[in-house]
Amino acid sequence: MKYIPTNKFIQSRSLTTTINNLQEKEKSTPQYEVTFVKKNGERIKVTCNEGDSLLDVVLNNNLDFDGYGACGGTLTCSTCHVILKKEDFDRLPDTPTEEENDMLDLAYEYTDTSRLGCQIRITKDLNGLEVCLPSSINDARS
Amino acid sequence: MNSNCFSRNNFIALKFSSLMFNKRLRILNLNNKRTSKSSADDRYIRGYNEIPGPKALPLIGNSWRFLPVIGQHRIEKIDVMSKQLREQYGDIVKVDKILSRPDMVLLFDAEQIEKVFRNEDTLPFRPSMSSLNYYKHVLRKDFFGDEGGVIAVHGENWLKFRTKVQQPILQPQIAKLYINVIEETAELFVSRIRKIRRKNNEVGENFLNDIHLWSLESIAQIALDIKLGCLDDAVRKDTEILIAAIHTFFANVAILEFKVPFWKIFNTRTWKKCITALDTMRNVTMKYITQALEKKLIQTNNSSNENASLLQRILELDPKNPKLATILALDMFLVGIDTTSAAVASILYQLSQHQDKQHILFNEICSILPNRNDKLTTKELQRLIYLKAFIKETFRMYPVVLGNGRCLTKEMEICGYQVPKGVHVIFQHYVISNSEHYFKNANKFEPERWLKHNKEQTHAFASLPFGFGKRMCLGRRFAELEIQILIAKLVQNFHIEYTRQPLEYEVQPLYLPKGPLSFTFSDRT
Repeated sequence: MKYIPTNKFIQSRSLTTTINNLQEKEKSTPQYEVTFVKKNGERIKVTCNEGDSLLDVVLNNNLDFDGYGACGGTLTCSTCHVILKKEDFDRLPDTPTEEENDMLDLAYEYTDTSRLGCQIRITKDLNGLEVCLPSSINDARS
Repeated sequence: MNSNCFSRNNFIALKFSSLMFNKRLRILNLNNKRTSKSSADDRYIRGYNEIPGPKALPLIGNSWRFLPVIGQHRIEKIDVMSKQLREQYGDIVKVDKILSRPDMVLLFDAEQIEKVFRNEDTLPFRPSMSSLNYYKHVLRKDFFGDEGGVIAVHGENWLKFRTKVQQPILQPQIAKLYINVIEETAELFVSRIRKIRRKNNEVGENFLNDIHLWSLESIAQIALDIKLGCLDDAVRKDTEILIAAIHTFFANVAILEFKVPFWKIFNTRTWKKCITALDTMRNVTMKYITQALEKKLIQTNNSSNENASLLQRILELDPKNPKLATILALDMFLVGIDTTSAAVASILYQLSQHQDKQHILFNEICSILPNRNDKLTTKELQRLIYLKAFIKETFRMYPVVLGNGRCLTKEMEICGYQVPKGVHVIFQHYVISNSEHYFKNANKFEPERWLKHNKEQTHAFASLPFGFGKRMCLGRRFAELEIQILIAKLVQNFHIEYTRQPLEYEVQPLYLPKGPLSFTFSDRT
């Protein structure tokens, strides 16, 4: 009965950034830092490129978040759900679009400061951003 | 876990405990409280055989229930049947041993539907038309090969295709490039209504056919980058052939899918008609795609152009192979015309039946688009909130497709029962979204319930007209735009009424009012 977490999600997803232009990018674009805080308190600090979405950040750093970003950023699921601090939520340049809101309605552990990671792009202003992950199916079962 | 589901089943379990008790199984959850998810492992799960449901007869199983005269259920009345099954058996019902079909488990519990969706693995399997499956994978295997498209395709081939096309087709900003094109087609339809309506402003009984033409015209511009001219006075020859083929397909596919499947044994007449229609659709589509490809090869590279059309983007993915775009276009025709048309017909009927709500919608449109010649943009569309609420409410009470489903790709516990891999779990959205348990005053048509400021706390998975997750409707963005823009244009131009006897909804196999759709379209002054 145990749900087996799988890396297949990551293998099968269309990477918005391929490895080649990732290396290209690293040379030219500024690097920023983002921290993911898991439900168990574990903090994962990674670097990313300017303009990457949080979904790109997770994929490019091979972070194994259970089922994260299943739809590849096409706004058909809510698995890349992240919870922001109120002040960060307020200073994001864009408010959620209607399509994002539709999916946020379906997000697990939705809060007032929830967003979808695929829609948040990291800019200089957001350097050092810290986001929390909701519990996954696995957390709920264990 | 949903309390309702458990309490009812547990009640049955208690009542018959002396008969049913099985040492393997222990049910701890005897109260009405919501079970916390963490207690799932403490609970003993009941076996698949114990799921309640109508008993299958020896040899002929449950198929007889759908036979004319002796059966209890008519296909057109599946909506009524679903409600009865829930009342009789509870939130989970097993219907097994239906001729040539896998077992079905009907699910009437939004929380359990959420659970099935959230447990989806990389290759969700969505049961769909078996005749189309045969056409793509057996009969015309040479053409489709490994690129079957997304409808009636599963596993790695589905993933390969979906991954290729999903970025351009689902990104909202690409769909929004089509607002003008869709608006122009909607305006053509408004003109056509003025032409075809009679002196009393009533359109003919076959108005659904006209809606189909609008839908085909809209989708052809998205899938093929061409104006087919379906709404023109004189229709071109190849357009006429395509329209006829699409009509033939829709008229016959339901018979293949819902009646006894003799076509699996020999070539029935219906089967031959369907195949000829599919071949015609494929050939005409292929012709247009090849033309587009030749045109595109002359043009400069489009990939850097953010205004590139959907077709240009799809052709860019595999510039030498016109098949990818052809197969995608074919899928868009197969499932994107009748569904969108049925939705429009249903919404128009609801507008005619709720004049007060139509009035509110008209006022909203007037305030956002004060001048009838004002062009729609993303900005105006975003502000048309009552329009969207009206559409959502129609979909809640009368979803075009009554349910959705998944073929389980792994064994799973649902409603306290162990359901094996391979079973078709059918999500009963129609029954759920019309039940008082999920929506207050469920039988009242209230678009207001969807407006943000007075949004009810409802279960998000109760009404899901486009599905959810990796297999969510691929055409959703375009379908929504088409429907919103057309309804806005129609309400802006006409006062819509229906003066005949009220209509009943029936499964045809899409869910829409049965009978002559002779709406009255009176000009607004």
